[in-house]
Amino acid sequence: MKSLFGRWLPALTLTLWGGAIALYAFDQRIEQVLAYEFKVYAIIASVLLLGCSIVVAAAKTDASCCVDSACGHGLSRSNSGRILTFAIILLPIALAPFGSKAALNQVLFKNRIATEDGSNLSSKLKEQLEKKFAARPNNLPAPAANSLPPEPAPNVTDPVGLPPLPGAVQPPPALPLPTADGSTPAPMPAAVSQAPTDWLVRTPDGLIVAEVIDLLYAAQDNTLRADFEGKRVQLIGQYMPDPANTGPSRFKAVRMFMTCCAADARPIATLVEVEKTPDFKEMDWIKITGVPTFPLEKGRRVSVLKAEKIEKTEAIVDDMPPGQ
Amino acid sequence: MTWFYLNLEAFSFALLSILFEGIPFLLLGSLISGIVDVFVSSERVSKMMPKGPISSVFLAGFMGMIFPICECGSVVVVRRFVRKGLPVGCAIAYMLAAPIVSPIVAISTYKAFSTGVVGGAPMEPWVMMLLRMGMGFTVAVIVALVVQKLPHRRILQPSMLEAANETKRTGLRIAGGADAPDFATLVAQASPRRKIVLAIQSAASDFLDVAFFFVIGAGLASLFVGFKEAAILPLASSPFLSIVTLMGLASILCLCSTTDAFVAANAFAKFSVAANLGFLVFGPMFDLKLFWLYGMIFKRRFVFILGLGMFALVAFLCWQVGTVDAWKPPTPGGASAAVEAPASQPLASPETPLPSNP
Repeated sequence: MKSLFGRWLPALTLTLWGGAIALYAFDQRIEQVLAYEFKVYAIIASVLLLGCSIVVAAAKTDASCCVDSACGHGLSRSNSGRILTFAIILLPIALAPFGSKAALNQVLFKNRIATEDGSNLSSKLKEQLEKKFAARPNNLPAPAANSLPPEPAPNVTDPVGLPPLPGAVQPPPALPLPTADGSTPAPMPAAVSQAPTDWLVRTPDGLIVAEVIDLLYAAQDNTLRADFEGKRVQLIGQYMPDPANTGPSRFKAVRMFMTCCAADARPIATLVEVEKTPDFKEMDWIKITGVPTFPLEKGRRVSVLKAEKIEKTEAIVDDMPPGQ
Repeated sequence: MTWFYLNLEAFSFALLSILFEGIPFLLLGSLISGIVDVFVSSERVSKMMPKGPISSVFLAGFMGMIFPICECGSVVVVRRFVRKGLPVGCAIAYMLAAPIVSPIVAISTYKAFSTGVVGGAPMEPWVMMLLRMGMGFTVAVIVALVVQKLPHRRILQPSMLEAANETKRTGLRIAGGADAPDFATLVAQASPRRKIVLAIQSAASDFLDVAFFFVIGAGLASLFVGFKEAAILPLASSPFLSIVTLMGLASILCLCSTTDAFVAANAFAKFSVAANLGFLVFGPMFDLKLFWLYGMIFKRRFVFILGLGMFALVAFLCWQVGTVDAWKPPTPGGASAAVEAPASQPLASPETPLPSNP
């Protein structure tokens, strides 16, 4: 019995924990659980745990867990208590098959306050964005000429009196907004552009692929704002009604952002403006085609995507933060 | 329940993610503990610290800057050092200060608050960083000096008490019979290779000891994933309630001190400097998982009192910080120095512009 608690159960526990982390790393599931830098630590830990388990199983010394009065575990006085101790340590692995990232995101989506203000973005997030933008290819094929008319001259001044933004463009004219069923009521306006944004990823139709975080950051950065403002973009996010909406019909497009691990993920959201609030369920994945604007509201520059077309789309399973 | 929403799938995934995040640090602490166990004698430990009780506590508080380790790992290391005869006051000072004064935590705090605005008030990131480190160190030293005066019998677990009173080596447990050799003898007779095996065994034993309590703490923290944050938003405007609310939240969220600043900067932007400071100082010192981990060294009743005492001390210090005019949140029409967030200013510095079209 002494070797069971002193040698075999400890070795088995270390093996299972090391193996579980290694398995998650091997099949890429760990990317849903941890942010990049923690993923590296976890993989190193899994190797060390497996190494420790081999030593514990192979060595003959009686150094052990749960076999004498010095054991720190509160349940170590009886054999059943000792078994229960190891069962508790292994419980999370037993529960792992029941775990679901989508279910956790749903809980966090409902429980956590969405970040909508780009000025509150942490520098960690900004660094990740900068990495992401740096990694984007510059040699993307130019969009078709008929889908992307030439960019207007940069002659706009900031509404609060700041000097003209570098590369700023005319705001788009009022756009026809989508109807509640998500259909597109009118053709696209001409206020879309090409240069200098050919470093951004585009769809085959020439739409800039924007993420919620791009628009939040663009609201706070003049250079990036100029790259998005007035251009046609495609954005995928989850639908969230905006109870605070008092003006034009607005809702939020939400994505989750993870700082260290899945448990600390929180929603980040951009406002989407439509003619009539669409009839989607909360958390439905939607694809929005529209033109980003960055008006000043209550002293802050916010990101408002003026939607032209909204449609349901498939869930993004690998809902990773940018730059990972 | 309108303020709570959770299910088994979400709980299981949150629990696993917290454990995957914490296990590397727990293992690091265990490995250090194993190495200390075999390669550092009690005599050397007692020679490491100054003789004066106050100077030794101050030095122990500063040690966190030289030997940075997060809160999960520090408990394991400290437990080993106390078994080796380190004064309990020094152990407490290191255990409480290390997760806050570490250079890694300082950098992450600086970067997280680099927007220069907290709760609508102007706040240079380096000021926030220094406030956090300074308050963490102060609280750790005050608590350590108080605890140092208490009799060990009233605060330490019986197993720790035996070890702390011994002057000889107190290594990993020897499960042999009455004729089993003393650990010091075992180590002295061991070859270098054998010593490494002993260190690994000791580390594995420590890891399993602590993992049990870590799982319980992480399980409780995962339950609070179901807590609706919006429920606390109305408290953001109250100078005192905002502080105690975020401190309470820090203790149930169980975030790692190296990354909690990023969460605070994102999630609690509406809360004051003082409230954010309370979150950043109290969380790494005392949370649900630490309650269980501290219980391996100290008696549970003492841990509970320690938590209450630190809560009161941190809340008081944060309250004092909150009275500084320059860091007060804006009041409508008030003459506070508070500012609007730099909404229309570029956040990327001119030296590090975002890459643009070549």
